[in-house]
Amino acid sequence: MRRLSSLFALLIALALTAGAQRVDLPTNADSVRFAAIGDMGTGGRTQYDVAQRMAQSRQTFPFDFVIMMGDNIYGSESPSNMRKKFETPYKTLLDGGIEFYASLGNHDETNQRFYQHFNMNGKRYYTFKKGNVRFFALDSNYMDPEQLAWLERELKGSGSDWKIAYFHHPLYSSGTKHGSSTELRSILEPLFVKYGVDVVFQGHEHVYERIKPQNGIHYFTEGASGKLRKGGLRKSDLTAAGFDADTSFMLVEIAGDELHFQTFSRTGKSVDLGVIHRNTAAHSAADLPAEKKEAARNTPRSKDGKPVPATAGPARAGLPSPK
Amino acid sequence: VLSEFRKRVDDYVKLRKRVDDSVPPLKPKRTAEQIAEHEQALAGKLRQARAGAKRGDIFTPEISAQFALLIRREFRGPEAPAAIRTIRQGDPVSSISLRVNQTYPDTLPVTTMPPTLLLKLPELPKEVAYRIVGRDFVLVDMTTNVVVDFIPEVMPPMRG
Repeated sequence: MRRLSSLFALLIALALTAGAQRVDLPTNADSVRFAAIGDMGTGGRTQYDVAQRMAQSRQTFPFDFVIMMGDNIYGSESPSNMRKKFETPYKTLLDGGIEFYASLGNHDETNQRFYQHFNMNGKRYYTFKKGNVRFFALDSNYMDPEQLAWLERELKGSGSDWKIAYFHHPLYSSGTKHGSSTELRSILEPLFVKYGVDVVFQGHEHVYERIKPQNGIHYFTEGASGKLRKGGLRKSDLTAAGFDADTSFMLVEIAGDELHFQTFSRTGKSVDLGVIHRNTAAHSAADLPAEKKEAARNTPRSKDGKPVPATAGPARAGLPSPK
Repeated sequence: VLSEFRKRVDDYVKLRKRVDDSVPPLKPKRTAEQIAEHEQALAGKLRQARAGAKRGDIFTPEISAQFALLIRREFRGPEAPAAIRTIRQGDPVSSISLRVNQTYPDTLPVTTMPPTLLLKLPELPKEVAYRIVGRDFVLVDMTTNVVVDFIPEVMPPMRG
């Protein structure tokens, strides 16, 4: 019996490590580490595969929480469907104490804000802090004046080094199905620029896309963590990198003034990798004249404030991260 | 006219609060079963309390006309192309046959509300929200998804 148990444990270990992806992120002791997923709640094979990859990646990159860019659950939100489309695929992560912080997509009932595993605290939109990072989870389905006023108050009052916003509808997108939400952009981007938001994570488009910095802000679309639109990305002048051949998820590490990211496909292939230097100039640019603000926000800078070139580039499997 | 609208909405919210107080409160960090039970219990009691509710109780003819004017202005003004694009990009829901006190089906997505339209409409208490369903303009209860009232065929056609 003992031999059978040992053999079983060995088989499980082998299964978990078979095809395990190599994570090329620094994994510093005090960094903020999280995963980012969007449009995942299908209950289908691809969602389960991505979830398993995420669990595997924790063996070498122990992230602490997950942000969700909406369409968390497709179809009915009956208890059995919530189990099938969230609790079961992410069981390993949930059992490991990983917290999920959801935002609402157009397929999500607003009552998800009460769901124990989504940490929305009964709110359609909310903010939370991890280390030196302040996150703002927004409801882009219903961007009413009250939410905008709340967002401006919170952005203005945040003293965090990093400000990261995430929500469902992409402000910038080269996706063939939806494209850029230009109206939402006209409302949100001025606030993001004014108050120094550094990075935006968005979903809705069932592809992965990293957008070139826009007015000093870096955008990622990760809307393929369960759903996928193969061939749904028509790379444009906006695109820094993209992947639409399979489902995917992101791993992110924020260490000091650097945000490292790596995007993996369902099969564990690294499809994007890079680092963003926090634009420290933007956080002190509030009082600059308009043209100087624009220049300050478009210049990436190192910790000592000197301009540096952006180092994020196309993925190469096994590419070591910059140290 | 819009202050009358606000009064009618406030009356709904007061009734809703009385009903809400008769069921165990829904707090954050609930299981899916607890959320479903609360939603069904509250929806059932709301329907009982509003057994005689009919279309036009909140969107009276005068109030509907005012909303129609606001909506027309939005979709004929300079922000119209962006607002239409918002709706189209958000996987808009086709028309379904709506009834007051019906529950909006949870198998259907919601149409994205154009933010510029929301800026022009009267603000609502958090218990209710506007929703676009096909060409209908709907007031829904945020916790139960019960249709509180609606204005039929007031939205412009969104030709794809």
